[in-house]
Amino acid sequence: MFPIDIRPDKLALEMQEYSQKLAQGMQNLMDAGDIDAGVTPKDAVYQEDKLTLYRYQRTGATVQRPVPLLVVYALVNRPYMTDIQEDRSTIRGLLATGQDVYLIDWGYPDQADRSLTLDDYINGYIDRCVDHIRDAHGLDRINLLGICQGGTFSLLYTALHPQKVQNLVTMVTPVDFKTPDNLLSAWVQDIDVDLMIDTMGNVPGELLNWTFLSLKPFSLTGQKYVNMVDLLDDADKVKNFLRMEQWIFDSPDQAGETFRQFIKDFYQKNGLLRGGVQIGGRPIDLKQITCPLLNIYAQQDHLVPPDASRALDGLTGTDDYTELAFPGGHIGIYVSGKAQKEVTPAIGEWLNQRSG
Amino acid sequence: MTDNGLFNNDWMELQRRYWEGWTDLSRKAMGLEKPKTNPWEAAMEHWWQAFKPAAPDPSKVFMDRMLEQGKVFFGLVEQMTRGLGATGAATDPTAGWDVLNKTLTGMQDAFTGAMGRGMTGADDDNATQRLLGFWELPLDNWQRMMSTLAPTPGDWLRNMPHGPVQDSLHRVLSAPGLGYSREEQGQYQELIRSGLDYQRALTEYASFFSQLGVKSVQRMRELLTERGDTERPIESARALYDAWIGCCEDVYAEEVSTRDYARIHGRLVNAQMALKQRLSIMVDETLGAWNMPTRAEVRTLQDRLQETRRENKRLRHDMDDIKRRVAAIATTSGPAKSPVARKKTVVRKKTVAKPDTP
Repeated sequence: MFPIDIRPDKLALEMQEYSQKLAQGMQNLMDAGDIDAGVTPKDAVYQEDKLTLYRYQRTGATVQRPVPLLVVYALVNRPYMTDIQEDRSTIRGLLATGQDVYLIDWGYPDQADRSLTLDDYINGYIDRCVDHIRDAHGLDRINLLGICQGGTFSLLYTALHPQKVQNLVTMVTPVDFKTPDNLLSAWVQDIDVDLMIDTMGNVPGELLNWTFLSLKPFSLTGQKYVNMVDLLDDADKVKNFLRMEQWIFDSPDQAGETFRQFIKDFYQKNGLLRGGVQIGGRPIDLKQITCPLLNIYAQQDHLVPPDASRALDGLTGTDDYTELAFPGGHIGIYVSGKAQKEVTPAIGEWLNQRSG
Repeated sequence: MTDNGLFNNDWMELQRRYWEGWTDLSRKAMGLEKPKTNPWEAAMEHWWQAFKPAAPDPSKVFMDRMLEQGKVFFGLVEQMTRGLGATGAATDPTAGWDVLNKTLTGMQDAFTGAMGRGMTGADDDNATQRLLGFWELPLDNWQRMMSTLAPTPGDWLRNMPHGPVQDSLHRVLSAPGLGYSREEQGQYQELIRSGLDYQRALTEYASFFSQLGVKSVQRMRELLTERGDTERPIESARALYDAWIGCCEDVYAEEVSTRDYARIHGRLVNAQMALKQRLSIMVDETLGAWNMPTRAEVRTLQDRLQETRRENKRLRHDMDDIKRRVAAIATTSGPAKSPVARKKTVVRKKTVAKPDTP
């Protein structure tokens, strides 16, 4: 049988419909207006350099749990992914389970931040945010939720300050940086990171964008825009698409010294598994983590493959370790409808059982 | 599969004449020259050129991107269905396969030819250009990104001579500088060498993707064979486009997972950084000559300042800790007691008479 059965009249109709959708959808594009970055009201409670610590306002009449939760996002990309629209907000989902949610917004580093190290971020910024929350609530310990690279930071922080963390949740967090299916890791092995940082200082967000788009260039820079034409007649879908588009290309620059150490110690030397990582001169021993730990990973994650996260099992000193697998991708775990129904309620329930 | 006889050249010709007549009329009204594109692509381009001036700036960039991909979509469909009508592929699959195989072979030849002349050439027709241009996406993304990071365009070295010319240049550049300006000569030599190294790395990177274009066409051929064998024909232009994207992504994913690609990728990034570093050094030299702050000086100050701030914050933290402990001690020991008058102890010296000395 011949494999292509496209009649010319059907083809002409399809082409015409495509062009018409494009033309008609133009109005929705023009009417989209400003794209907001985050939908849940929040208050800035602490600021230091480019960092802002936000506390989200309570929604509804949910009883608030006594132990607050600090969300530590990655340095790459912006944290409003967790709160991108009303019906796709991890933050709202957490608030609905009674969590008192704080989030660190790292801001946009510039060349003045070039010298910031991992020590500055972890033993500096994160520790001072944790202390601020502890003082505000009169507590010795708080809950921590780390996302992606923020999860790695949360592991490092908890290993260095176990007395300040009550429960730890990691989401799509890389622990083993050299699993065979990790493209990013494969690509970075031959890069002279010292030359890169000595030359550029900070790592530009554009370079990171290029790297992420290079994982699936034809889908992410080509097919996506052809498919978008099908959404153009729905103003809400257009706005949602534009929000994602804004987020994808909204990559902050990376502080040079932090990037240097993170790539060398984690991606190139796989330090969490092989040992030898030091933060501020203090060696990292994940066995110092003895608090309850919930490790969530996405089964179709092409940025942090499942095995990269699951390697955490057995590395810590906790006797309360739980894994949760989500059938989706690295971004879907925050923005998909399924994640709102499955992931955030599970996190809330797990925390509530352990937070008194 | 239909056999109503509609799948023939007459119908396609009618469609083309309709669109060309419409676009001709519009073109004359707008004063535009005749494009060498397929009719759907021409109509879409025509609409956008008419509408673009009224569109807000942010939308223009976005729409340009969507339209570009739309053209790839149309171009692919035109490429793959070109000439099929004449053979009546619906009623004569063998003849249809002959035409399709020629098309696929033509696409592979276009990629192979493109490897020699650097991807798209003026000789290619528009549909082929779009197809080849599509496989330039990864390279195009790199060049756009580099354009944002440097004062020079991202593709400025792409068409520099390479091969034996480069080797000769390298030999010339190896000659040491002499006299007062030997250091400056050495720096310029290093700069040019870095430029040549980057250009070589870029060519290697582009060549890698040209080869993948050939492989992706082969993968498409296999997919179409499988669809024919299992009697699951592709029935729409979108499905054809999605199948092509799937083949490209599959081939790409397999190849970029290899050590070879990691090396090529690493060489490209390292060569670009080496070139930028050379440029930075020379800019710093110039700034220093003009008695202006250089990047190296600013970085030294930044490092020292950050170390001072780190120390400052550590000391503040320790002070706060001490204050807390002192406050805690004051709280637990209660109010301070009043001082007790100390009893003065009087020591009486016992006087013993000294014996008379003789």
